[in-house]
Amino acid sequence: MSTTTEPVAAPVAAAGPAKAAGRGPWRLVWDQLWARGSARFGLITVALLLLLTALAGPLSALGGWSPEEFDKRAVDPYLGGLPIGDFGGVGTRHWLGVEPATGRDLFARVLHGGQVSLLIAFTATAVVVVTGTLTGIAAGYFGGRTDAVLSRLMDLTMSFPSLIFMISMMSVAKDVNRILLMTLVIGLFGWPGIARVVRGQTLSLKHREYVEAAKVGGARSWRILTREILPNVSGPVIAYMTLLVPGMIATEAALSYLGVGVRPPTPSWGQMIAESISFYETDPTYFLIPTGFLFLAVLAFTLLGDALRDILDPRGGRS
Amino acid sequence: MILYLGRRLLGAAGILLAICAITFTIFYLLPADPAVAACGKTCSPERVAEVKVAMGLDKPVWEQFATYVTGIFAGRDYGSGPSATHCGFPCLGYSYEYSLPVWDLLTDRLPVSVSLAIGAAVLWLLLGLGAGVTSALRKGGVTDKTLMVLSVGAASLPVYFTSIMLIWGVVRTAGLLPYPAYHNFTDNPVEWASNLLLPWVALALLYAAMYARQSRNSMIEAMAEPYIRTARAKGLPAGTVAVKHGLRAGMTPILTIFGMDLGGLLAGAVITESIFGLPGVGRLFYDALVRSDQPVILGVTLLAAAFIVAANLLVDLLYAYVDPRVRY
Amino acid sequence: MTRRTHAALAAALAATLTLGLGACKNDKSDSGGDSAAAGRTQAPGAASGTIVGGTPVKGGTLTVLSNQDFAHLDPARNWTMPNMDFGIRLLYRTLVTFKAEPGAAGSEIVPDLATDLGRSSDGGKTWTFTLKDGVKYEDGTPIKAADVKYNVERSFAADLTGGPDYAQQYLAGGENYKGPLNGEHLASIETPDDRTVVFHLKRPVAEFSYTATLPTFAPVPQSQDKGTQYDLRPFSSGPYKIETYDRGKQLVLVRNTNWDQSTDTVRKAYPDKIVVVQGLKGGQVDDRIIASEGADASAVEWANLRPESIPKVLPKPDVKSRLIAEQQGCTDMLYPNTSKAPFDDPKVREALTYAVDRDAQVTAYGGPAMADVATSYLPPALTGGTKQDTLKIAPTGDPEKAKQLLKEAGKTDLKVSLTVSSGDKTRAEALQQSLAKVGIQVTITTADPSVYYDTVGDTKNAPDLAILGWCPDYPSGATFLPMVFDGRTIKEKGNQGNVEQFRDQATSDRIDQINAMSDVGEANKAWLQLGDDLLKKAPTVPMLWQRRPLLAGTNVAGAFGHPVWTGQWDFATIGLKDPAKSQG
Repeated sequence: MSTTTEPVAAPVAAAGPAKAAGRGPWRLVWDQLWARGSARFGLITVALLLLLTALAGPLSALGGWSPEEFDKRAVDPYLGGLPIGDFGGVGTRHWLGVEPATGRDLFARVLHGGQVSLLIAFTATAVVVVTGTLTGIAAGYFGGRTDAVLSRLMDLTMSFPSLIFMISMMSVAKDVNRILLMTLVIGLFGWPGIARVVRGQTLSLKHREYVEAAKVGGARSWRILTREILPNVSGPVIAYMTLLVPGMIATEAALSYLGVGVRPPTPSWGQMIAESISFYETDPTYFLIPTGFLFLAVLAFTLLGDALRDILDPRGGRS
Repeated sequence: MILYLGRRLLGAAGILLAICAITFTIFYLLPADPAVAACGKTCSPERVAEVKVAMGLDKPVWEQFATYVTGIFAGRDYGSGPSATHCGFPCLGYSYEYSLPVWDLLTDRLPVSVSLAIGAAVLWLLLGLGAGVTSALRKGGVTDKTLMVLSVGAASLPVYFTSIMLIWGVVRTAGLLPYPAYHNFTDNPVEWASNLLLPWVALALLYAAMYARQSRNSMIEAMAEPYIRTARAKGLPAGTVAVKHGLRAGMTPILTIFGMDLGGLLAGAVITESIFGLPGVGRLFYDALVRSDQPVILGVTLLAAAFIVAANLLVDLLYAYVDPRVRY
Repeated sequence: MTRRTHAALAAALAATLTLGLGACKNDKSDSGGDSAAAGRTQAPGAASGTIVGGTPVKGGTLTVLSNQDFAHLDPARNWTMPNMDFGIRLLYRTLVTFKAEPGAAGSEIVPDLATDLGRSSDGGKTWTFTLKDGVKYEDGTPIKAADVKYNVERSFAADLTGGPDYAQQYLAGGENYKGPLNGEHLASIETPDDRTVVFHLKRPVAEFSYTATLPTFAPVPQSQDKGTQYDLRPFSSGPYKIETYDRGKQLVLVRNTNWDQSTDTVRKAYPDKIVVVQGLKGGQVDDRIIASEGADASAVEWANLRPESIPKVLPKPDVKSRLIAEQQGCTDMLYPNTSKAPFDDPKVREALTYAVDRDAQVTAYGGPAMADVATSYLPPALTGGTKQDTLKIAPTGDPEKAKQLLKEAGKTDLKVSLTVSSGDKTRAEALQQSLAKVGIQVTITTADPSVYYDTVGDTKNAPDLAILGWCPDYPSGATFLPMVFDGRTIKEKGNQGNVEQFRDQATSDRIDQINAMSDVGEANKAWLQLGDDLLKKAPTVPMLWQRRPLLAGTNVAGAFGHPVWTGQWDFATIGLKDPAKSQG
């Protein structure tokens, strides 16, 4: 999943609403979502954030500033580069004010930063979901030695002090694409959770009549997996996936905050928070803007995920 | 039971060894050469080579790894002649930066991180479970809704924000508490607690919010179980049912999560320690990282993994105690 | 001293994760005058030579609030600024030391353990020092000449890393010596009796008296040596001894009752106790000292005032009066890679000199309160306190002239790489902007401070441009120009001084000639001239002379920045106004 501009379809898109057979149930899910106030708020906020960050380029062009452009006139070098004007230089020239000392436009930076943060969060989620689902199904369906090996691997991965390990790995690798690396590193430690859920689901599905019937009917494993098992685990997976996103956004922020995330001059929410946190007293606006966006994103995805879980996976999905 | 315990312990040791090997390999690939870094500014290549030998970095990676692992159990000697030092069990190596055994550094910093983790855990369990159970018992009511809105909000607040607002509000503006600094519990418990209060609250808020949501859900699920309905039908007071049956059944999933969370935190909350400037293991880790102090990085990673593995083990054993359905 | 910049940066990063401050130009940057007009000041945060708080009274507890630990306190290993200041002023005495005075007077040397500045013979190749009578260690045993010899020998040991290597460069027979830990001793240091130590050098060193100010020349008795462990508890010969040292957390110093004031003309030792609290957050340290409540009133900060705290200090006269901002005495430069195109062409390098907007660099570093525009290689401390400016380029640069030079060189549309330490990120971005104006496109790579020197010091893979600084070890061109511009010092890997890989026979020859001069004054003049001549060949571009802005609490007195130790508080004279208040 990426920063698609098709906002409403975002959480459901992966399951393919276009599938003729799937149209009915997904429509039902949508109606139930919309009926809940909190989910509606989550949906609209997610849609807005996706729209804003996807259109970061054109929108900041509208504001007249690119995210890396200095504005010497907006700051006072004699006060350590404090923005000139109230609320961190908010005004018609800079809609959300400027970064101290450089005078870079915060509106442009927070949108471009969101692009990076959300891109990493979504792709890392995708990595986690794909790996987790595949290993979960494999472990649950094939059982025996496959299950034993995969389960040990899950235990091992879950025993890693993940944040500490992520920080170490990010600091070791130097000359690689930081965004890609961060996606992979975050993804590497997330999959066992979803794998366990899927494994449990698959185990219980394996012995259902229709699966047994398909087996007796001579269907091959591949067919059973794709036709019978996968569609039936997709509900909990989607709910779980949406609930993973806030954690991913927070992890990206944590890594960038600790200085091992994206490389400058690329902005991300975590990087912006890291640089602005010490200005919380002298230039609160600078600190509140990325923090606010981070808060909204996490909140919106949590609300949406909660609602989706209640609808798609009323029991279980928590291990 | 003994057999099960033995098997689990063996598994835990295997996991730790694997983590150790992976961490070691990764840091062997680190581009920074600790010998060059330690040597000083106008250091000649010959001297770098000497320093390398002195630090034991001239050997192949597998040999260094083997020395490291045996050193953990058997201890090892560093240097030669009068400057030789013995590093006893459990020897995790010598810090390049501090010239101290890594184990000493860890045990020195551990009280800070453990104080932080335990205090926060108590706080978040009280707050989170309290709110979760209250919510579950008043499902759908105003209290439930208010608590859940609050907890979703609190869970979404970035820890940077809560921490800074606490410092700003309580320390800077109101002047009620000092800037957090670590004081030994044994020296002065009051000072210990008042200094750690803000970090506890900052950390606990985040977890409490998550636990409130989790415990509410599992309580509601548990309360819907047939045996609970039976108990109620028998006319037992609602409170007794909730506490005796609902709580016990509802808390088992929480226990797993709690084990992992606490295990992960004991070896240092990197961000919280960094924001509040507490000299815990997380801070030690971060400083070591910036200075490429590999033995310390490795030591902290292993310690953290050991805590997680131990916490998981403990939780599994507790399960057997709490939930009679669990068999070996 | 590049290592200082490195370590300080690493520590600053560890504590705060960001040093970034942006780049903007302004019409004036470096001017004297201390005119503060309603929150706006055009001058450094405080003039050079400022003393905070008048004369101190004996007694009380001085607190030092720090965001970091000392790199090393072992005198054989202590070579990072400003840790050298702390060790030398409080824990150990060296043969010779610097006066405890602000401004230019602080660069003058006086005998410390020795009775004089050392007597040279053999044309400057042999140096003899005599120890004072009655100098003692913390346990009351007398300090012997053999102990001075022993610590100099320790600086050769491979285990004891990080220390000054002047002894290895200068002493005869030092090439194959491996230190005293295996019982071997160096023949070129003689101790005919307990009070006399004689050094035999490879070549004449006119300013060996200055060399003898380094912690290498502090005494360590062999009986107290614990190898690498000595770092944790150096045996005191100074006015204080270590009571407890919990690395990264707290260091407590108490009076060394065996130190005799009458033998020491430099150290005043006002406080009874000095507590260094380590590992604090930089911003919190600033806030605590600004507020100066309770014990914080008797505290000074160890690390620089954070740029974001400037708006809390400069507009408030009562806080601003407690600020010092001494010149660090280092020169921060842009290092082009002169070993390959395009910067192998002196014309292109000259263009670079004109293209750089140094004013923008000042702002990016934190504004005029924290740095001045550099106009020569040798910082003012090495040029008799006056600023050299032979090229007279405007602080904002001269893009037209730069473009013209590039045209003459036949190079347009250049694309170059720049690698900076992650703390210098904003400065790199400012540089990117000013070079874009003359048609040089810059791609920025940042490296962790821990690997920065490895990256730019690898001659084969070095980037086209790098930002580094060099600090002299003592006020002499001999500790600056040869390290940075002598082609013979280039090493394939771990290259730290001559990072620009400048190989120029004329320069190397001239360095040898000046090194051979026996008259210190004449040599200094020659270094000055060489610095100016080099500027025309443009091996590097001087950018900043950084300052060290530091705040003191309201109860602190006698506090000033020492010019030699990069503007850090001179711990020899610092004390309190009212010792009774320090116990709060």
